[in-house]
Amino acid sequence: MNILYFLVQQTMFFSIPLLVVALGGMFSERSGVVNIALEGIMIIGAFTSVMTIRLLQDTMQGQGLLLIALAVASLSGMIYSLLHAYASINMKSDQVISGTALNMFAPAFAIFVARIYQGTKDIQFTNTFRIKSVPLLGEIPIVGQLLFQNAYITTYIGIAILIISSIVLYKTKFGLRLRACGENPQAADSVGVNVYGMRYSGVLISGALAGLGGLIFVVPTSSGFGATVSGYGFLALAVMIFGQWKPNRILFAAFFFGFMKTVSAAYSGIPFLRDLDISGGVYKMMPYIITLVVLALSSKKSQSPRAAGTPYDVGKR
Amino acid sequence: MKKFKEWVASSSFSSVSASIGAILVGLLLGLIILIITNPSQAFPAFFTILSGGFTNGIKGLGNVLYYSTPLILTGLSVGFAFKTGLFNIGASGQMVVGGFVAILIGVRCEFLGSSLWIVALLGAILAGALWALIPGIFKALFNVHEVISSIMMNYIGMYLVNMLIVKYIFDSIRNQSMIVAESAVMPKLGLDTLTNGSSLNSGFLIAILFVIVTYIILNKTVFGYELIACGFNQEASKYAGIKAKRNVVLAMVIAGALAGAAGGLMYLAGSGQRIMVVDILLSEGFMGIPIALLGLSNPIGIFFSAIFIGHIKVGGFYMQLYDFVPDIIDIMISVIIYFSAFALMVKGVIGFLLKKQKRKKEKSQRQKNGGKVE
Amino acid sequence: MDYAIEMQGITKSFPGILANDRISLQLKKGEIHALLGENGAGKSTLMSILFGLYKPDKGIIKKDGKQINVANPNDANNYGIGMVHQHFKLVHNFTVLENIIMGVEPVKRGLLKLDDARKRVIQLSKQYKLFVDPDQLISDITVGMQQRVEIIKMLYRDNEILIFDEPTAMLTPQEIDELMGIMRGLAKEGKSILFITHKLDEIKQVADRCTILRKGKYIDTLDVETSTKETLSELMVGRKIDFTVHKDKAKLGDEILKVENLTVKSKVIKKNKVHNVSFNVKAGEIVCIAGIDGNGQAELVYAITGLEKTEEGRIELHGKDITGTRIRERSDSGMSHIPEDRHKHGLILDYNLAKNLVLQTYYKDDFQKNGFLKFNEINLYADKLIEKYDVRSGQGGKSIARTMSGGNQQKAIVAREIDRNPELLVAVQPTRGLDVGAIEYIHKQLIEQRDSGKAVLLVSLELDEVMNVSDRILVIYEGEIVADLDPKKTTMQELGLYMSGAKREEKVV
Repeated sequence: MNILYFLVQQTMFFSIPLLVVALGGMFSERSGVVNIALEGIMIIGAFTSVMTIRLLQDTMQGQGLLLIALAVASLSGMIYSLLHAYASINMKSDQVISGTALNMFAPAFAIFVARIYQGTKDIQFTNTFRIKSVPLLGEIPIVGQLLFQNAYITTYIGIAILIISSIVLYKTKFGLRLRACGENPQAADSVGVNVYGMRYSGVLISGALAGLGGLIFVVPTSSGFGATVSGYGFLALAVMIFGQWKPNRILFAAFFFGFMKTVSAAYSGIPFLRDLDISGGVYKMMPYIITLVVLALSSKKSQSPRAAGTPYDVGKR
Repeated sequence: MKKFKEWVASSSFSSVSASIGAILVGLLLGLIILIITNPSQAFPAFFTILSGGFTNGIKGLGNVLYYSTPLILTGLSVGFAFKTGLFNIGASGQMVVGGFVAILIGVRCEFLGSSLWIVALLGAILAGALWALIPGIFKALFNVHEVISSIMMNYIGMYLVNMLIVKYIFDSIRNQSMIVAESAVMPKLGLDTLTNGSSLNSGFLIAILFVIVTYIILNKTVFGYELIACGFNQEASKYAGIKAKRNVVLAMVIAGALAGAAGGLMYLAGSGQRIMVVDILLSEGFMGIPIALLGLSNPIGIFFSAIFIGHIKVGGFYMQLYDFVPDIIDIMISVIIYFSAFALMVKGVIGFLLKKQKRKKEKSQRQKNGGKVE
Repeated sequence: MDYAIEMQGITKSFPGILANDRISLQLKKGEIHALLGENGAGKSTLMSILFGLYKPDKGIIKKDGKQINVANPNDANNYGIGMVHQHFKLVHNFTVLENIIMGVEPVKRGLLKLDDARKRVIQLSKQYKLFVDPDQLISDITVGMQQRVEIIKMLYRDNEILIFDEPTAMLTPQEIDELMGIMRGLAKEGKSILFITHKLDEIKQVADRCTILRKGKYIDTLDVETSTKETLSELMVGRKIDFTVHKDKAKLGDEILKVENLTVKSKVIKKNKVHNVSFNVKAGEIVCIAGIDGNGQAELVYAITGLEKTEEGRIELHGKDITGTRIRERSDSGMSHIPEDRHKHGLILDYNLAKNLVLQTYYKDDFQKNGFLKFNEINLYADKLIEKYDVRSGQGGKSIARTMSGGNQQKAIVAREIDRNPELLVAVQPTRGLDVGAIEYIHKQLIEQRDSGKAVLLVSLELDEVMNVSDRILVIYEGEIVADLDPKKTTMQELGLYMSGAKREEKVV
């Protein structure tokens, strides 16, 4: 039973960042801008926020510090994504190339600054954020142990983001206009919607969420940040596609992949799997192989936002 | 002079200037970062980067060419794919798989004789080709975007190769693959003595051969005509009876073969290059992207931009003398990519301005002749 | 007297074209004012300026006598100006209601509140007889209904000045009549209407006055009732045009194309796109498939040329069974195809003209050896075609196709397909978007092919072209052939009835 609790808790740590980042990607693509720079933005977000923790942890600890770090992650992600927004929207450049540039810059930058600061690239931090048990909720039998013990507030923040995203996308004026820009920007433009502005919003939201996702990924799973998020940003893209750009399905996809990742990391702790004596490398490959299979099955009838990837030219009305 | 003016007005000129522009911006930004971090050492360091291999005379130059050899091939790999409308971001995985097969053959197949390196290289090419087959098929049959499937293949390749090295050809002391047999090392052909003892070897000449072959395939053959047609317009290609799906797969396979060859050339060079068993993707694969972009996906252009990247990479290495971290070079290169994404737009602006001038001239010409304006 | 809208001295240029050259226009309140001109005359540009999509280089706009500045569609809307575009600006996976309210969404406490809006839409649709269901998705409704959604969009915003851009392009003759009725109704309620068209019949049917533009310049404004179609057309084109196409009687030969029980499935809905179609085309005749856009003619052509798979049925080309064969095999067996979309299918825009001219033949021994292209031969061939078919471009064979004008791009495609000497020439909307000169030229080529014994299968939406060029008309409606008509013995009205499904022949072919 303990193994089950452990698995569920761990799955949270792997799924929530995927969820948040995939939602970010969704906002960007729904507005019409393909954003494959999620990996790079996650790195920038994680880097700036881990540095913040590192610099402040002598004077501050606990949830307060974490909240500050989350804000920093989000903000830095947003600012970094401005580069992609500008290139894609104003300069109308190839969105995949621009995204690739950001993906390549981020680790180089993170390593560079880390080396200047401390000589090595891994930034260690002390984890004072783990919540052993949420008051009241953690004491509920079974559910309490599954969801409210050994937790981080980042998990709950992630779920909150999901709910808010759903509401914003489908029930607000902003969401309606955003979706229109991703399907038929000419139509939106003709009724006075500011397509450029909407697309900027989409990209900035993806930046904020991806940056946030970077920290959410690092905190529960490691004690340091080494300028990589192990391809998580790309897995998030797969989650987004598998989730067909819809928040509820993305939730399901994120947990599916998160669970896969958990098994691959924790298999040695599961007696049944340990006894199978499969090499560690196989487990490491599993999430990616499964992603491939899932993509193959779900891309045929894929309904991506129609105008995603095509720069909008106001002059060509 | 007239021909020069014509060229200036053509679209290729604006493309080239856009590439050069992107390079200049990248270098400039690098300089700024150097100045910010350590002003006193900034300029000497920058000049070291610019002089690249020349810092160390002909030996340095030889090392630049040696270093550029795999880059030429990953550049060709990405560039070839671009020309046919695909983004081969999987060159890294294809290269490491190719490199692995090359080393495996080099370590375990000594019985095959003295020209083992040829077999090993062919093995690398085949492995790379097969590795790219999956994203190709996935795109053709399942409509999966090749970027995301290639990225998955990169990670699968990395983990798989690491696992297999540990199992079959592990040098546990140094956590890397074993040394290949003598017969598996590519011949030097006297290039090392020519360059004062650098690591330059026949691999560089093989790379040139690939450049020429790729150029011919793309520009002179029926196959190239079809591939590029598909890259430009899949629907029209279908209308013309070209088998678009088959071409997507073939293009990826060829791109993979080129990246696999990069792996072969890198690890069979005999200068102590071995695959490290770490969870890090091969950066040479990703370097292919800026090289292809700067070279405008033209094999000749790719050749020169690969040497340029090699040049500044070596310069960056020497720059460490000035107490800077070589990752600055990676920063500069990513900035170059970012701006070359603009290149298309800049190209559009320059081309448009030049065309406007041309039209004005033509219009006044016609009015002089009193002819009809078409 | 203050005009509802007055545009004075409007000038607008784009790179290489002077689209509007000091144009003036007056719209009276409650009138239906037509804006007539050929393709490229500047009508759309002028209206786009009025609607705030473009900013004029010079000139002013006045509303009710007062000068206004329309910087964007929002401003236009605030001034009560609305526009129904030729290509509908609707989001396909939104509902009718969502499309109507987008841009003026009602919100309560930050969230969308659609109940009152829905009520208003239903009320408007009843009042103006524009029946729509607010909760249907755009992708599920007909073109005619989509247009009604666009009109309600304007009425919802209390627009007083309504601009219609080529509103009848995709409607049946019956739907056109309905639209004319709707427009008259709107004018009676005090709306002022501007409508852009190049169709003289419609102007005569519904407009009060008509302003004619030609090549960006203002020509004249006439009272419609007292003007003849001939006057209007002469002003539109600048010369007397002969509407008839001269051709001899058809001399029929072998059966070249035989289509039997052809059925093409739809990828999206249960119903077949082409259902059990059978017909033939003989050598020396032009057979035209006529129908409203979207009734299966595109899929029928794709099935015949090989771009799409057939579910059932048989296709024979001069006796040879080509059902299920690949495109190249059909091409080699004597079929040529001038496609509907010259940019999507007909040309590789980023290739030069020469490479495009051998797009269907590059693999033949004339142009390649051992896998290597023979560039000399290709360029010589291209030069020959350019000369013979008068294809104009900046640098001859070396010009990049993208830089050529639409008319010349089409000429290049026609040249390529005809010069291959096919037995069957399939031409889909070959004159779409071209000016009168180019249209004349292409009709001439089609008739020449027919006279030299080729079989021509023409697909067209232009009723004039259908009536004048073809020897036989097959009307397609909802995927089935519903009539086989002789153009000399039928009228446009009758043709329209078949096209809209109101009538069908008992036994066809």
